[in-house]
Amino acid sequence: MTREIILDGPPDLRRIYATAALKRGADQDRLPDVRVLRRGVRVDRDNLARYAHACRFTFSDRLPLPYPHLLGFPLQMVVMSQRDFPLPLVGAVHIENVITVDRPVSLGDPLDVTVWSERLRPHPKGRQVDLVTQVSVGAQVAWRGVSTYLARGDEHHDAEASEPPSLAPLEGVAAGPTWRFGEDTGRRFAGIGGDWNPIHVHAVLARPLGFPTAIAHGMYSYSRCVAALAPRLPESGVTSHVWFRKPVRLPSTVRLRTAFDERRTLSLLEGVKGDLDHAVVEHTW
Amino acid sequence: MPQTSPRPPRRAAILGGNRIPFARAQGAYAKASNQDLLTATLDGLVARFGLAGERMGEVAAGAVLKHSRDFNLTRECVLGSRLDPHTPAYDVQQACGTGLEAAILVSNKIALGQIECGVAGGTDTASDAPIAVSEGLRETLLELNRAKSLPDRLKALTGLRPGDVLPAIPQNVEPRTGLSMGEHMALTTTEWGITRQEQDELAAASHQHLAAAYERGFFDDLVTPYLGLTRDDNLRADSTVEKLATLKTVFGKGDGATMTAGNSTPLTDGASAVLLASDEWATAHGLTPLAWLVDAETAAVDYVHGAEGLLMAPAYAVPRLLARNGLTLQDFDLYEIHEAFAATVLTVLKAWDDPTYCRERLGLDAPLGSIDRGRINVTGSSLATGHPFAATGGRIVATLAKLLHEQKQQDPERTVRGLISICAAGGQGVTAILEA
Repeated sequence: MTREIILDGPPDLRRIYATAALKRGADQDRLPDVRVLRRGVRVDRDNLARYAHACRFTFSDRLPLPYPHLLGFPLQMVVMSQRDFPLPLVGAVHIENVITVDRPVSLGDPLDVTVWSERLRPHPKGRQVDLVTQVSVGAQVAWRGVSTYLARGDEHHDAEASEPPSLAPLEGVAAGPTWRFGEDTGRRFAGIGGDWNPIHVHAVLARPLGFPTAIAHGMYSYSRCVAALAPRLPESGVTSHVWFRKPVRLPSTVRLRTAFDERRTLSLLEGVKGDLDHAVVEHTW
Repeated sequence: MPQTSPRPPRRAAILGGNRIPFARAQGAYAKASNQDLLTATLDGLVARFGLAGERMGEVAAGAVLKHSRDFNLTRECVLGSRLDPHTPAYDVQQACGTGLEAAILVSNKIALGQIECGVAGGTDTASDAPIAVSEGLRETLLELNRAKSLPDRLKALTGLRPGDVLPAIPQNVEPRTGLSMGEHMALTTTEWGITRQEQDELAAASHQHLAAAYERGFFDDLVTPYLGLTRDDNLRADSTVEKLATLKTVFGKGDGATMTAGNSTPLTDGASAVLLASDEWATAHGLTPLAWLVDAETAAVDYVHGAEGLLMAPAYAVPRLLARNGLTLQDFDLYEIHEAFAATVLTVLKAWDDPTYCRERLGLDAPLGSIDRGRINVTGSSLATGHPFAATGGRIVATLAKLLHEQKQQDPERTVRGLISICAAGGQGVTAILEA
């Protein structure tokens, strides 16, 4: 029997982080049968403006393709902080994300946001799980996001991991939008998206967690990529897939190289020196 | 070598327009940048006319209040829009005349056969206005940048004064006189003896006309909602002369002051765009021209030492425009006279009807005469919509083109004609003739 947690407002993420820091993840192989939902969510205009400007989208009534993820993220935290959730919340790494837009979502639309987990499975480097965010307007599903998180642990050499498509089309694409991500990039985006995971906040907080510097939010880097392509993507009927590779250490300068096809874009976000692959982004429609 | 022969000019058609509702400053669009406003407006135009992926001949637009980072604003907006990225663009800035001047530039290129289609527009936000560092701080920072050694740097810093750290906020002031536009207008208003009653009547009519135009759906294919607004939020449909009479005066001095916040335009945020093309391009794209931009004239006055009122330049532009086209002031079905202030419209009307002024200032044998007031700003103007400086021209061109098209449909055999008159800062005035 599915348990439903209905929230009247956004959950207090600071409290979730505070308690989750002590939690290791339940020692079990089953996902809790729980759905967390918020009904009639209205996008905050000022928050949308800050997100759009930070990621270089045009601020308009149409929500940028990745934006609903920000509405689902706190609910994902609620699911992952359940006592019987098998992965630890702090330390789980966002490795992949797929967004499908069935119909465009607008600023004034009342949104029903539902989040659940599924497909707990082995990964070559541990275990992975999908957190599904579904955004509906009225009775219709408009937007769906699947965020895959990895918890490092026992290795499973024979486990299947999702592989990005061949980057062959990018051969010969020499240039692309180039961005400087400042040292404060993580703090700025945390203030917009609410993900205050310490690895994004400051080097001093990231070091104990195994990172020499703070790292950019994957959702920020990915949003910048989508924004750079947005005028060339359809508003609906599009799937946006990102495979996160090496984290973007702050500060850094990164570059996006893209190959355009009839109904597809394939992009690589890389260090400007070409030595680090940060993310592969594919759009299909 | 054969010589190229000049092509005969052709007429440039106005196919339509798009704007977002205009918003009072610090309101619905407080967090939107000029780039947001203009890109959203271009995308609305693209959606309305099926221009996605279309390479336009050019996009000319601009902003009056502009951040230095927006040096290539219009091109940036094109790149962020659904237009073909191969569309060239450039920025235009002629204060409140920006939008109309942009339309003239695009139509001239079409007329000369240099381009087949283009977009003219403008945007302004008084909310997201640029704030600069003070001149003292700017000079210090530049000196610091030039300094090569530590002592040089320290020396540069000693030039800084405490007051220098305060930012410079843009002001709506003429640089050469230090007077705001309203204060300038108040001088002219007094000189011409324009009464408070007349101004309030014109302001009330502007609101009532705009409200009626929205009610009959006139703006359904001219305006795209933005950030929750569906209509200009400065509009007061229930505006009356009685209500306006209760407002305090804000410009001018003492008992003679007549100008209030009600009969002056408020600071506003917004953007507009107009689609222009050759007749051939319109036909090829299955679009019907609403009207044609026939001719234009820009004038400037020597306002600096008080020889003429700051906003009087259109009074000079129009007779030159009429003479060149063999027309009289009465040969128009509709007039769009930008309501910078109610008094601006009333003054220019009075000037054209004044024998002495027309003879001595405009060099005319006879006054241009009076205009049927029922033909002026029939769907309201800037007093009601608000006036995001560079966006006003595009609003007026698209509105007048549609109004002329409506009249033409009533009487297809007759040429219907409209006159646009827009005053601008710096003592300038941009005017144009549209025909359908």
